[in-house]
Amino acid sequence: MKAIVAPMGGKVVKISVKPGDSIAEDDEVAVLEAMKMEMPILCEDDGTVAEIKVAPGDTVEAEQVLMVLS
Amino acid sequence: MTGPQTTQEKIEELRKRTEAALLGGGEKRIAAQHEKGKMTARERIEALCDEDSFEEFDRFVVHRCTEFGMDEQKIPGDGVVTGYGTVEGRPVFLFSQDFTVFGGSLSGPFGEKVCKVMDLAVKAGAPIIGLNDSGGARIQEGVISLGSYGEIFRRNVLASGVVPQISAIMGPCAGGAVYSPAITDFIFMVDQTSYMHITGPQVIKTVTGEEVTSEIVGGAKIHNQKSGVAQFICKSDKECLKDVRKLLGYLPQNWEQKPPEKLSADSSERTNEELNSYIPDNPKSPYDMKKLIKTVVDLNSFFEVAKHFAKNMITAFARMGGMSVGIVANNPMFMAGCLDIDASRKCARFVRFCDAFNIPVVTFVDVPGFLPGIQQEYGGIITHGSKVIYAYCEATVPLITVITRKAYGGAYDVMGSKHHGADVNFAYPTAEIAVMGPEGAVNIVFRNELKQAADKKKTYQELVDQYRARIASPYRAAELGYIDEIIMPTDTRRKVIRALTALKHKRTWRPVRRHGNVPL
Repeated sequence: MKAIVAPMGGKVVKISVKPGDSIAEDDEVAVLEAMKMEMPILCEDDGTVAEIKVAPGDTVEAEQVLMVLS
Repeated sequence: MTGPQTTQEKIEELRKRTEAALLGGGEKRIAAQHEKGKMTARERIEALCDEDSFEEFDRFVVHRCTEFGMDEQKIPGDGVVTGYGTVEGRPVFLFSQDFTVFGGSLSGPFGEKVCKVMDLAVKAGAPIIGLNDSGGARIQEGVISLGSYGEIFRRNVLASGVVPQISAIMGPCAGGAVYSPAITDFIFMVDQTSYMHITGPQVIKTVTGEEVTSEIVGGAKIHNQKSGVAQFICKSDKECLKDVRKLLGYLPQNWEQKPPEKLSADSSERTNEELNSYIPDNPKSPYDMKKLIKTVVDLNSFFEVAKHFAKNMITAFARMGGMSVGIVANNPMFMAGCLDIDASRKCARFVRFCDAFNIPVVTFVDVPGFLPGIQQEYGGIITHGSKVIYAYCEATVPLITVITRKAYGGAYDVMGSKHHGADVNFAYPTAEIAVMGPEGAVNIVFRNELKQAADKKKTYQELVDQYRARIASPYRAAELGYIDEIIMPTDTRRKVIRALTALKHKRTWRPVRRHGNVPL
């Protein structure tokens, strides 16, 4: 089980994947807004999305788990 | 037993002794090394140096330890192969630790061998390359081993900024042994077969009860992504040594020389049409700064340093018009391209390296500011951020800065601004150079107007637009001469190369002092 975490605090703008999707390194899994910038969250490893822990509009802290991969 | 009598017998003896020395710890241990996917100390040297260029020192050195039955076990070379060779025709001095001999453990004579080549490298003004694969101190030698480490560390420090020092970790590197590589300029690590840590899994288990593997404590991924201790991660020994050769191609032999120039088929006057539409219209949208840089530098010359650490900051070597340059850039793709502790450390150390070795620094700026937060403040962002200031202000190499988009607040100053000694400062027409972003500034500057406004939202938006047009542009800075020229993005390559060429023989003077006090 691997988790994708927020690199910094901010607001979730978009979730780009859904549970069951298989994703590869450098795929965009979500978009976060912080410091008046939108930033894509990229996957660092290959895997399958098991669970998504946040929704668009949520405020997240740095290191907070956004989704879990299996 | 009588020794050889005739000349032929003496020549035969040298042949035999050499053969024995070349075998290191013997065929069985060499096979074990290969099984782990590792090359032997000598194979690594072959792969690193130009063919048949390596000359070995101290092949017959053995240890002098008599305790714990060590006098019964002596292997010529004593666990490290040292000498000099060439890389692309230029001399390098090196040592390659031999794990097949006493686990590559460091004895007194082992340390003396390493120190000998380090001293010669400094005299000869040639890079030092250390290939590390060692179990650590040779316990049987006791404190002699510690003394040897200390002698090596001191030489690393004295050679720092004199000749480039490069370490490749290709096996264990634990305890005190980590500090020699740590002082060198760059650390390469081979994924899965190397690790570096001060205390390993066994000690951690005893002290805290945690059960961890060496890979988790100090594997190549950890040091390349999390700690920033290592700057390069490689899939195999072979790839690692190829990358060391590649890195050397960007570096001079020593601080007094300029890096080698390589003729490029890529024209210095080449323009990049796509760059005029590369910066997105929406100031919130990110773009990949790395792609922009790759189109500006000589074709295929981009060689990234610390690629996996603090991705919001790009550091790389490249060539422009054949000249070796250090590239520093914010990357809006990661963490909005903000400056944080890791990015600051990464940037400052890289700029100081470039400055030490006559490599001009080209900075690309798109920075929204410093990352706010308690974690950053408690972690000492004030100290770490000031390292970037220190590095740029101290630098005497040519400094060229290109602001592509945002340059806000203190981060504008920090990222190679005119005020910090940059020689040529360019900005794109898309640049926003201001003390803070329009949204925040309007709230402060027009506090009263906003309070009294009938339609607050509408007034706010109008004021933001006004502010953006008037203040968040490159023209204010250009009126003041903080920006030398606002350039068409298409022209980035030729403008930067012309500036580099003009500044090739830049000279500066600094006040006399013992040394500055960089905020470490």
